[in-house]
Amino acid sequence: MALDYRKCAQEIVDHIGGRENVAQAAHCATRLRLVIKDNSKVDKDYLDNVDGVKGMFESNGQLQLIIGTGTVNKVYDEFLSITGMSAATKDDVKAAAAAKQPLWKQLLKPIGDVFVPILPAIVASGLMMGLVEALAKAIPSFASSDWFGYLDMIANTAFAYLPVIVAVSAARVFGGNIFLGAVIGLMMIHSALTNGWAAAGGYEVWYLFGNGIKIGNYTLGQINKLGYQGHVIPVIIAIWIMCKIEKKLHSIVPEMLDLFVVPITTVFLTATLTFMIIGPIFSGLETLVLNGAKVLVTNPLGACVMGAIYPATVVMGLHHMYNVIESGMLASADFGNLNIWMPIASSANFAQFGACLAVGLKCRNAKTKQVAIPSSMSAALGITEPAIFGVNMRFFKPFVAGMIGGAVGSIFGAFTGLGASSYGVTGIPGYLTINNPVLYTIMLAIAGGIAFAITWVVWKEEEKKPAAKAPAAADVKAPTNAIIRCGAGEIIQPVAGSMIRQENIPDDTFASGVLGGGCAIAPENGVVFAPFDGTISSVADSKHAIGITGPGDMEVLIHVGVDTVSMNGDGFEDFVKEGDEVKAGQKIMEFDREKIKAAGHPDCVVVLLTNSDDFDDVSIQDS
Amino acid sequence: MKEVKYTIIDPVGFHARPAGAVAKALKAFDAKVTVFKGEKSADMTKLLKVMGLGIKQGDEITVQIDGAAEAECAAALDAFMKENNLI
Repeated sequence: MALDYRKCAQEIVDHIGGRENVAQAAHCATRLRLVIKDNSKVDKDYLDNVDGVKGMFESNGQLQLIIGTGTVNKVYDEFLSITGMSAATKDDVKAAAAAKQPLWKQLLKPIGDVFVPILPAIVASGLMMGLVEALAKAIPSFASSDWFGYLDMIANTAFAYLPVIVAVSAARVFGGNIFLGAVIGLMMIHSALTNGWAAAGGYEVWYLFGNGIKIGNYTLGQINKLGYQGHVIPVIIAIWIMCKIEKKLHSIVPEMLDLFVVPITTVFLTATLTFMIIGPIFSGLETLVLNGAKVLVTNPLGACVMGAIYPATVVMGLHHMYNVIESGMLASADFGNLNIWMPIASSANFAQFGACLAVGLKCRNAKTKQVAIPSSMSAALGITEPAIFGVNMRFFKPFVAGMIGGAVGSIFGAFTGLGASSYGVTGIPGYLTINNPVLYTIMLAIAGGIAFAITWVVWKEEEKKPAAKAPAAADVKAPTNAIIRCGAGEIIQPVAGSMIRQENIPDDTFASGVLGGGCAIAPENGVVFAPFDGTISSVADSKHAIGITGPGDMEVLIHVGVDTVSMNGDGFEDFVKEGDEVKAGQKIMEFDREKIKAAGHPDCVVVLLTNSDDFDDVSIQDS
Repeated sequence: MKEVKYTIIDPVGFHARPAGAVAKALKAFDAKVTVFKGEKSADMTKLLKVMGLGIKQGDEITVQIDGAAEAECAAALDAFMKENNLI
């Protein structure tokens, strides 16, 4: 049987808080996309079960209802007709929804969007890399074997070429051509450039405008022949710019010339902006961080600060040059030839592990668990990108918990004089290089433990909002507004909720008026009150319908739900019987909305003046 | 006066929807229609009163039609009951 589009649309309107609660409505190929003003008015459980709604979820401030190709547009048309809204495009809806989020969320969100799809690649890589490199440090003979070379290559590919993976993902997120994104990503790690990890060893520079204009150390037109290996943020920014350029060009270049002009112009402009501006800014920042770090790390307080901001520098991709600090320490008598940077990094990383693990254990969403647990393991081995980008930063509180854990662990490490005999490993593999395993264990326990504990206590999973709990029946007050008026008097709304016009009642018999004129109410709770002073003329055996005769011989039928007679009374309780005198506002019935839903019926309360033909000027009040 | 007996076979009995439709249809005729279930009776054009009888599946009801148009009314009622699978 074909879907009743109108009924579907009506049920949706009724359970999203009505027309007043919808800011924008649009649809795509399969889904109805609604921007809701007040999410607490949305009855999600009900919507999930509406005939025609195959699934629903909230994303980016939009309520999305999956209806299906070919049908969603029809439901959408009915939706517009019922609510009187005008059509909005998908982009309007997205913009309306995005604008609702706080600014910091708006900025963090793209990073999550870019990273989540590529997590499978980098988690696998991270875990394997951690293991292989730890083994290599522990067993020197392994380190020079062919097996190591081979395994290492497999393991570090994703990280070695991370910019490309990130670029492709970002191009998709920002709506650009993913292959152009790939080109930019590849360009940023082109073999003509010195590998980013080797930055400390120096690199060449192209001077496009000669040596003329200088700003401090930076010459205008200078392009550092330095690759962006291991960088994330500059890549995302570059691709974001690329997509903006691409879209702009598409809109101004005539179609005939599009294929010739747009791609090459996009790539050239993006590359130039990236290498001329973004690159220098970020390498400038990195040098700053490096110099600052060297100073900070010489005392415990500084170590604490460093431990706290370490993950932030990882996020910004400013952490590459730390190897320089570490090797500098190992070479210097001032530091006793000891790498005291390593405990700071280890605390910070192990803290991210703790926070991520807490998320993985505390959450109930299967998808989150599947990402968080392996990512946390990877962080324990020293590869923190999956944990940071895939989990902690997205939920933000765990990230902060990690910063705190890292800070405290670092203080401990500084006071106890922990240090490593080489550089490059942190976390669990660090046992191989640390000068005091027992103290190291305590430090890791502190860092990870604190982060874990804070996250566990402070972070709450965003739950699907439970259907608004109906207030206890005893507390419910009778509504006092009249919904139907006629020559003989008023009929007061018998149950709290928004009004449904008669023609929109999901039942032909009620809607057609053959049983009399009236309307229905989408109930907010399960308590029915007498609509006027009168006498109960009938109570259905199946308890779901009550007839009351009122002043001037108004005969009103209150019928809870559609087809609910088939429930045989299960879920209904009447407080009156035939012949009882009742007063307006007196409780006459309670019904269980959940049971009605479970039985698959609409729960609207139909109110009909069955003998409306007998009266003059019957008017139904507008909601 | 005409009198007809029916045994209701609809599993949910003679409930709101058919009762209402019948009431509206019967109002059009110049006839008084009374339905009896056992001792109780109700004017069949008054929906709420009919519902008060609580006519269930298996119940036998007697309908009395009295008036100028009783023949047409009875025929219409008969047709209605059959069409809606009430009997």
